[in-house]
Amino acid sequence: MPETTAPVTGTILHLQRLSTEDGPGIRTTVFYKGCPLKCAWCHNPESLLLKPQVQWIGNRCISCDSCLETCDRHSLEKTANGIKRDRTRCITCGKCVQACPTGAMEMLGEDITVIDLANELVKDRAFFEKSNGGVTLSGGEPSLQPAFTLALIKALKDRGLSIALDTSGLCPPDTLEKLIDNVDIILFDLKLINELEHEQWTGVSNKHILANLLIAKERVQSSQNNKKLWVRTPLIPQATDHRENIEGIGEYLAQHMRGSVERWELCAFNNLCRDKYARLEKEWVFAETPLMSAGDLARIEMWAKDSGFDPERIFVTGAIRIDN
Amino acid sequence: MSTITTEKPRFTIKEPKLLSDRVGWLRDYFFQGVNRKWNNEYTSWTTGTPWDFQYNELSFYIVPETYFYIPTFRSSFKQTAKPVALHQDFWKWSLPERRAWFLKAVIVDYLPKEILPGDLLAGARFNVMISHCLTERETKEYDSLIYGKNGSRAAMLWFHNHGYGNAGATSGHIVPGYAQVIEKGWIAINADLKKYYEALSESDKKGSKGGQLRAMQTASTMARDLAKKYHKLLAEMAEKESEPARRIELKTMAANMARVPWEPARNFWEAVQSLWITHMLVMADENYPGPGVSFGRIDQYLFPLWESSLKNGMEREFGKEILKCFWVHCNTAYDAMIHTGGNQGITAGYGQLITLSGVGAAGFDMTNDLTYAMLEVIDEMTPILEPKPNLRLHRGTPEQLMDKVVEMIASSQGAPFLLNFDERSMAGMMLEARKTGVEHLINSTNVHEYAPVGCLENTMVGNDRSGTVDDNLNLLKAVELTMTGGYDMNPVVDALTGKPAKLTLDGADTGSPETFTTWEQVWQAYVVQTKHIIKRSVKLYEKSEAIRARFFQTPYLSCLVKGCAASGNDINQGGAELNFVTVEAVTYASTVDSLLAVKYLVYDKKVCTLKELIAALRENWSGHEKLQAIAVNKTPKYGRDDDVADRMAKQVMDLWTEEVWKYKTSSTNRQFRPGMLSWNYWISYSNILAASPDGRARGKFLSNAICPSNGADIKGPTANVNSVGKVMGGKALDGKGDWGEYFNVLPNGGSHTITFNPSIMRDPEHRDKFKAFLRGYIENGGSALQINMLNVDLLRDAQKHPEDYRHLLVRVTGYNAYFTTIGKELQDEIITRESHQMC
Repeated sequence: MPETTAPVTGTILHLQRLSTEDGPGIRTTVFYKGCPLKCAWCHNPESLLLKPQVQWIGNRCISCDSCLETCDRHSLEKTANGIKRDRTRCITCGKCVQACPTGAMEMLGEDITVIDLANELVKDRAFFEKSNGGVTLSGGEPSLQPAFTLALIKALKDRGLSIALDTSGLCPPDTLEKLIDNVDIILFDLKLINELEHEQWTGVSNKHILANLLIAKERVQSSQNNKKLWVRTPLIPQATDHRENIEGIGEYLAQHMRGSVERWELCAFNNLCRDKYARLEKEWVFAETPLMSAGDLARIEMWAKDSGFDPERIFVTGAIRIDN
Repeated sequence: MSTITTEKPRFTIKEPKLLSDRVGWLRDYFFQGVNRKWNNEYTSWTTGTPWDFQYNELSFYIVPETYFYIPTFRSSFKQTAKPVALHQDFWKWSLPERRAWFLKAVIVDYLPKEILPGDLLAGARFNVMISHCLTERETKEYDSLIYGKNGSRAAMLWFHNHGYGNAGATSGHIVPGYAQVIEKGWIAINADLKKYYEALSESDKKGSKGGQLRAMQTASTMARDLAKKYHKLLAEMAEKESEPARRIELKTMAANMARVPWEPARNFWEAVQSLWITHMLVMADENYPGPGVSFGRIDQYLFPLWESSLKNGMEREFGKEILKCFWVHCNTAYDAMIHTGGNQGITAGYGQLITLSGVGAAGFDMTNDLTYAMLEVIDEMTPILEPKPNLRLHRGTPEQLMDKVVEMIASSQGAPFLLNFDERSMAGMMLEARKTGVEHLINSTNVHEYAPVGCLENTMVGNDRSGTVDDNLNLLKAVELTMTGGYDMNPVVDALTGKPAKLTLDGADTGSPETFTTWEQVWQAYVVQTKHIIKRSVKLYEKSEAIRARFFQTPYLSCLVKGCAASGNDINQGGAELNFVTVEAVTYASTVDSLLAVKYLVYDKKVCTLKELIAALRENWSGHEKLQAIAVNKTPKYGRDDDVADRMAKQVMDLWTEEVWKYKTSSTNRQFRPGMLSWNYWISYSNILAASPDGRARGKFLSNAICPSNGADIKGPTANVNSVGKVMGGKALDGKGDWGEYFNVLPNGGSHTITFNPSIMRDPEHRDKFKAFLRGYIENGGSALQINMLNVDLLRDAQKHPEDYRHLLVRVTGYNAYFTTIGKELQDEIITRESHQMC
């Protein structure tokens, strides 16, 4: 069928090919831009805003001043600490990004059509097929761009690819239902079970998220095609890694989800995103937090396994601290 | 975090395991290197004439690091040569007869015969430099062809110094017909040779055919006569041996040597013994240890005797023990120049390659118990240098083998073997058959019998010499000549006088590039220059090929290669049934990226004019750093699964490969064929080749084999794999490729290396993903893959504390080396090379 309307576009950050941490098999993960939550530990701070942003990567800069010369808004300034951007003046026109010869000025977020994106995602089909993998829509939050996401899912299904939706769970219920009905795997984040803590750490209540989780259960259980639901909990030191939270989530899943959760993944804190915050001129409260130790993870795994949730379905992943 | 620097290595290095006292001792003894009492260092032998010499420099024309030493090698081997008492008729014989007789005399009568403690195989010394056996007149002719103004050496040096590449008729790189020796014995070869000789006409008997066949008959009894000597030694040792178990072993070994390799082997021990003696004498015949003299599908042709010996009571572990002794013997090839250089003589990339598993007739998988036993041997012996294993994967490879493969990769610093991919490889062999009209020798009923030699260079077995490392061409030189209209970008500076050479029109005259107004004009000039450099390179090769054909026969090896006896031609005279010379294109990705950069910078985005770009290249980017940064960072690159960039890559590939098929050697009628293996040339030529439009400054490494340029594959391993598969030909949309739906324009194959972070295999679930990655490679990738499993922290630690990492093995283009023994420059390169993070 020829396209009769303007092509649907969405804003994404980037694609991660040969991704092995976002669902079963080998996957290509689409990182969306824009997220309704503001998790204090967020590992992808560049994905928070829906609109594109520009960042400056100091170690790529060769001080050629091309960016300064090209900026007609005069929003850039050369300082002892590198190029500073006056974000009140900058209109994210991208001229400095184009002018930069080294990629030190980088645009975070690009608009892409469904067709272009689907054609890119299909390239690793052979690897998906051999591994029972596929495409994971992640972010950011895919449900923040529902029309684009639904069109993308359709395009990917037309190409015979398996699709996973990685969601924070915060979106209108009818959007979630539509998305779930069209994907094969749902990766549902459940970070904190206590509503107040959830609000404290992510900026929003978990009331709607928990309600949506029940919808997810219902849609998964009523689906004909062996849809899978995985719940994921980030293990953040001093935030989510305490006993009440882990046991609370486990109990909740055991009591309310009744076998619909194929896997509960506990993902250890990682600090590789530290520089991202600096580049976006943001503070990160976890900047000095070390990786968790093997002992920490073992303890958490024990709590999870004693929580009433099927221990066989619990997976702890992530980097651990190596002490000299 | 502690800041104390610990004395203990922070990381676990793969260690050998489960070795018996016997094998443990032999392995440790080998690694004592120069401190060993016994070694297999070259001995040199002369006819005693004043003009005599031993060193064959032609074999080293492809090793630029040795150029400086060539005169020294020739004189030092000559000086240390010991005389051999010649047969009274020696000088009446033809040259191949002289060489066959001389080598046999040295091997049988002059070299000491020794058995190392506990060893289960006989056959210790084989590294020899024997006389060229030339008369005074022949020597004069030879020398004028080598040293003359238009001689091979001057031509080779010119070619190298100007950055075109190198070429030389090189030894090895072949799978001799070992299977038939094991099965039928040398006695059968000897009988065949007699028949061929008797069938000659009287005049042919007097001519070169007669001489060659008489030489081969002499050579065909060398192994028998050597075995007799070892038999005697072993019988004496058994008599004196007081330890009963060892005594029985020695007696059995003596009995083995009384039989093989002259007669057919009857059990596994005899078979391995027959194979070893036969193999080591090939290396002796060529006066060069282990240059890709490869074993082929060893787990197939040894399997019947492995199976029957197991049935007849051989313990499986004892069978492995025999193999482990075989492994140690293969490593003694490295002793050749044990006192030369700082690395116990490990100066060159050897490659006695064994092939394991793979597809068989009608598509069945051929994995068997011996495949697994050999993998166990590798696992237990690793790290070890030789023999190099190459494991053939295909769509039907069983899960059990995949599991073993991934388990071994996971527990090693890098894959302890190379991986070959059958479907893609066989498509290339089928193309070769079609292109050159040898379908009667390579076709759908036998192409699965192919085996790689050296590292990954695909050939047929027992009848094929494909000269797989003989002609190495820098494609990037054609870009340089395009940018200058046929001149060197920068004059070659004489190393001694410091004087720059005058620039001359060495390339094709494609006119002043400043006048090019369209990309198409640039491309057309590139086409002309590519054709020009290929022509120059095959012409250069011809020089050493013709000299070797005339003055350096290897009658012993010729006995093991089908076609030589029937034609009465030595293998070095084109006697094999299948005769190819492989042009190995080097700097492929650098070339593609450079063309992409010219198109992007000058014509698509108009960042600069062609004139400005050429000025920047001439000045090695100095003062043009911004333009250089754009070239490095903003232009499209091969290796990212970007269809537009990869289309250019395919155009470059099709152009050079098609051109290569147009040539044959004139002296020996060998057909040129394309391949991509760059050994370490991407380093050696980095200082010689001028700055390139892809943003590379002179001195920065070039791209390696079929791999994307360093750091260019920012889309990760799957994108890298897809690009490689595409440029090799991809798959036919209608399913009608050259093998199944597969195409492969490189019958030799292309060397592909990917470095992974070890976290990719951290648990069973991830190991499954890695297995799937390999299965995906079978579908989308190239013909050969080498997996490096490096940890940057580990390498940095190893650089700082080499004493703690002596066993850290790294692999570079199928060439393995101990990390701490390679130069800092290369160490840095390995460290900076992108290590693909899978999480």
